[in-house]
Amino acid sequence: MKISSRQICFIMIAYTAATKLLMYPTLLSMASGNDLLFSALIDFFIGTAVIWSISFLCSRMDKTFFELIKGTLGEVTARIVFGFFAAFFLLSTLLPIFEQVGYIHNIFYDTVPSLGVFLPFFVFTVYAATKKFTNIGRCADICLPIFAVSILFIFITAFSDVQWDNLMPILKTPALDIFRGAANTAYAFVEPCWLLMFMGHFKYKKGDAAKITLSYALGAATVLLFLAMFYGIYGAVAPSRTYAIARTSLFFPAIEVIGRMDLLVLFVLEIVMLFALVLNIQLAVYALVKCTGYENRMFLSFLVNGALLAITIFCNSFYNNINELFYNWMWIMYIVFVVALPVIAWLFKRRTA
Amino acid sequence: MKNFFNINKFAVIIYWVIFLALAGMFFTNDFGLVDIHKTSIITAIGIDSEGEEVKVTAEIAMPQPSQSGENIRYAQVQGSGLTIADALNEINSKTGFYTKLQFCRLILIGENCRDNQLFRVLGCLYRKNYSELTALVAMCEGKAADMLANKSQVSDMTSEAIRKILSDEIEKSGNANTANLKDIALAEFSHSRSCFMPYVQITKPGTSEEGGNGDNVGGDPVEGGGSGESGGQGGGSGGQGQSGGQGGQGGQGSNQQGQSVEFTARKTVYFSNGLYKGILDEQQSFALAMFKSKIRLAVLPCEGGDIHHTIGLRNVEGDIGVKVENGVPKISFSFSATAQIQGARVKVDPSTTNKDDNVDDKVLRGAEEELKKRFESLFSVCKESNCDILGLKEYLYKHDYNNYGLVEKDFYSVAETECKINVRSVH
Amino acid sequence: MVTLEKNIKSVKSVLSSEDILVFEFESEKGKKFAAIYADGLIDKAQLGELVVKPLRVVQKDDDLNAVKSLLASPEIKDGKNIKEAIKEVLGGNAVLFVDGEKDFAVIGVKKPPMRAVAEPPTQIAVHGPREGFIEDIKINLGLIRKRIKNDKLQVKTIFIGERSDTAVSIVYIDGVCPKNLPEKIEKEILANKIDIVPDSSYIANFLAKKPRSLFKQCGTAEKPDVFCAKVCEGRVGIVVDGSPICLTLPYMIVEDFQSVEDYYITSYRATTLRVLRVAAVLIGLLLPALYISAQLFKIQIIPFQLLLKISSSVAGLALSPSVEMFLTLFVLEVLNEASIRMPKYVGLALSVVGALVLGDTAVKAGIISTPAIIIIAFSAICLYTVPSNVETTTTLRWMYLIIAGSIGPFGMILFTAYLITYLVSEQSYGVPLVAPFAPLIRGDLYDSFVKANMYTLKERPKAFKTKDRLRLKKDEN
Repeated sequence: MKISSRQICFIMIAYTAATKLLMYPTLLSMASGNDLLFSALIDFFIGTAVIWSISFLCSRMDKTFFELIKGTLGEVTARIVFGFFAAFFLLSTLLPIFEQVGYIHNIFYDTVPSLGVFLPFFVFTVYAATKKFTNIGRCADICLPIFAVSILFIFITAFSDVQWDNLMPILKTPALDIFRGAANTAYAFVEPCWLLMFMGHFKYKKGDAAKITLSYALGAATVLLFLAMFYGIYGAVAPSRTYAIARTSLFFPAIEVIGRMDLLVLFVLEIVMLFALVLNIQLAVYALVKCTGYENRMFLSFLVNGALLAITIFCNSFYNNINELFYNWMWIMYIVFVVALPVIAWLFKRRTA
Repeated sequence: MKNFFNINKFAVIIYWVIFLALAGMFFTNDFGLVDIHKTSIITAIGIDSEGEEVKVTAEIAMPQPSQSGENIRYAQVQGSGLTIADALNEINSKTGFYTKLQFCRLILIGENCRDNQLFRVLGCLYRKNYSELTALVAMCEGKAADMLANKSQVSDMTSEAIRKILSDEIEKSGNANTANLKDIALAEFSHSRSCFMPYVQITKPGTSEEGGNGDNVGGDPVEGGGSGESGGQGGGSGGQGQSGGQGGQGGQGSNQQGQSVEFTARKTVYFSNGLYKGILDEQQSFALAMFKSKIRLAVLPCEGGDIHHTIGLRNVEGDIGVKVENGVPKISFSFSATAQIQGARVKVDPSTTNKDDNVDDKVLRGAEEELKKRFESLFSVCKESNCDILGLKEYLYKHDYNNYGLVEKDFYSVAETECKINVRSVH
Repeated sequence: MVTLEKNIKSVKSVLSSEDILVFEFESEKGKKFAAIYADGLIDKAQLGELVVKPLRVVQKDDDLNAVKSLLASPEIKDGKNIKEAIKEVLGGNAVLFVDGEKDFAVIGVKKPPMRAVAEPPTQIAVHGPREGFIEDIKINLGLIRKRIKNDKLQVKTIFIGERSDTAVSIVYIDGVCPKNLPEKIEKEILANKIDIVPDSSYIANFLAKKPRSLFKQCGTAEKPDVFCAKVCEGRVGIVVDGSPICLTLPYMIVEDFQSVEDYYITSYRATTLRVLRVAAVLIGLLLPALYISAQLFKIQIIPFQLLLKISSSVAGLALSPSVEMFLTLFVLEVLNEASIRMPKYVGLALSVVGALVLGDTAVKAGIISTPAIIIIAFSAICLYTVPSNVETTTTLRWMYLIIAGSIGPFGMILFTAYLITYLVSEQSYGVPLVAPFAPLIRGDLYDSFVKANMYTLKERPKAFKTKDRLRLKKDEN
């Protein structure tokens, strides 16, 4: 087996949270105001249910998702579906890449550097995307402790300035706004698709379904706590505070004395964010391998990263438009890939049974 | 194709290409960098209004070559424009420095900005992350440029000297009501739409402008000196009878002769809807601090048995609550603290010094009376100016949303108050 | 009948070198003998005492067996052909030809020049044994045997090097070491045809899966106690003749952070020291890079008051921060290299020149700043807390420096992510290089960056997948 259930749990905790610490809190507070937690809860609730259903499915069979579709609808269909998955993972990476570009430029550099500063990212991803599930799992082993220590630091330093009553009055935001917030930020919830890809690649042990689901819930709880603290600190100003993770420790009394030491922690946390981002690219390459049957990952990695690089260069000035596009329409893809397909997987399972 | 994408074959070449590219960039240093040699360290900015224009005075730390330790020269550079960003850009064009505000830890607003909308003036600093929201904000007497041009006795850096009087420690003693950019930003979007900030004034060394620790309430002050009423610097403003006015008196205003000065910030300026409303005197500021800050030790002058006492207040717990009963907002102030005598205008009997912690009831009641007077005075300011300095509307919005809409408009005019003050002896 | 002269001629026709000596002598009864040996490799006194003296009484018609029975040497073996005789002579043994006999006797009177067993300079211990390996394989194997008096300890010797014919012994404990590992290692070594193996580092290269890798792929031990402890954990040890540094496999990076002394002191102190080493290596690696990264791209990292001091120091410098740091590190590397190579008596002068002339004067002249010197000096000290990895860490420091000066903090992060991705993929004979962290092996964490109490470490490291897992059992009665 290439990846262990423990490593999947680590991915569910660390990567789930790491992908939602930049623009997600800002966008959510923009859409749902002080009720941002409820919008997030909706997405996490759906996510947890789907994660549980997939991991439970893993307990009933040891086939990969590809084999499952192949067994039911034939190889051609399976390849087509995985082709779509490759496209989905590619699309899911786009906005986070633009978020990263902004984050790197704004937080890691004092001046506004050129896009060139970010481009070495693709050198790394070309290499990393050739790696298989074993590598993904082991990277998660390294990332979890890094994430845990970093986020703990962020929480401790942020805590002193949190005014919890900024989250009040509860549920006074119109329900439509809360649901819209949940739908518009749904593009960030691709974790169930990760698990679909891992299906059949790990040895299921008794209780793993519960462990994986709980891990996801723990990741979700971390995000929820962060959202609460972020809004608790900034209240109504939160929608203008981009790259939330870099803004929360500012008011810690010691920061004034020792300088922005929190930036060093953010540098460390960035490693986890990069791995979480690269996971989508790795899975896009995996899906392409399955789709084409072509085993040369280096070629496919060049292909995927080349596409991403081209989009990044050409669309760099259109972040707002892309953001709007994703914000308004990506939830449809979310419903298809993240919610519907796992449900369909159960139907396939019944058929093959 | 398969061989071509065998990375191991090309790994060494790829590594060399990457290395050479990096080495090239390393030695040319041309990657949008912010060289420490070329960057100015702006430690504070002063904002003045001149007609339609904003005039920004930046206090810049200019490191001088030194083999050991620190050798910094501070300079004031001015720029003007329709916005602060315009003015900073002008500073950049004048000095060649890349002006960044990450180290700007003090934003001083000149008194001449009173007629401007505060949120419009400061908005550009907090809306686009131009500056860190931790930067302290204060209004100063006279022009901000003049204030920053003063030489301080306590620090080479004028802004540092001003920051000392706005520090956390000062706040914990109730001697200043500090505010940072975040507080101002929050105020803009809050339901109170009110905010306050300290009012910085200068005094000549050796003189006590307004009576030491503000313990000049009536009576015949001996310790602390100064004259009874606070302020006394000319006319009132904004309808506030006892608040300070404009311009300089004595050592106030700019001190261009190079004489060192001292700074105080015991008064508080308050704004509503971004508009200047007035200045709270020391007593009202003290009352505000009791509720807004976490006080560790505050010093309060009071009368006890016709003798002037100065008592220290510890374990301070101040709380304001508001609830709506029958459509009427009821504000409850509650305040409790333990008191210790710090000084009295009587000859001390050495044999009774061990009983200092056992404060006489008369003194305790005197302290309660004094506190009550200060709270009432503060509340009357809120009521008269309809300015929600205490943030009660925001509190009501958050904690009693359903009734908020009912009383929002004429909140202060119909509000009833209840004041519970309990000052007790340590023993 | 084979004459003595013919045998001597056969050997000398191959070993024509002048340092191959032939000592011809005869018994009182006229039986002729010839001892052939390499000058300087044998103990001549022993040859006289144990061979020549007893053979005085040999009868004219005694055969080789009768001759051998008279020899007093404890190490005697038979030789059949000239090729074998040549090998033994070159190996440092004496070959005894007897007149009229085709076969010969090999007499172990080897005494090559060697130093005494001493404490290795790079693994000095305050607590614990002070013996270190030397260049002689037999002594080294003896030091190992002295510590592991177990019938399961296996030593398999192979020879490698077309010209050097260097002995390489593979040491392992049967049942403890992973199955088939010794055979795999033997195969890997023998797959290489090389002229000479002057040191164990050659063997380390043969055993590396990626010989071009920047990272070590073989563990090393310079002390028998360390070597034995590693072998007892389930590793295979490799002792190479002529090298005082023995190898151990499989290798995990975490080994380098474990000092020999950690096992002889309290676990609390050992843990503190290990955490200190990890922190020191990270600081040593990243501090210079972070410093120029901060100066060039993100001043905000530096605390305000410190920034003012640094600004004062760098104000008026002729060089940019990156070039300044490059130059300072370059000078450090040159000083480091020169101080190792230079004779000791010049070393003192070098320190003075390095510290005073280059350091102090360069600061006074405004070429480099004081903080740069402090940072580079501290970084150098930090890296030497883990001396066995200095080759890798100093190279990485250069890499980080170049990246920091060109791309800035994001480059450093990317490079770190790249290193993680690379390292977690690497294996050393079935054991992941970054175990027990990736993959996470919970039990082994207790002897990683922390060092638990001896009773917590009852089992051998799980990463090695040994059959015999228990290494400590306490009788509760």
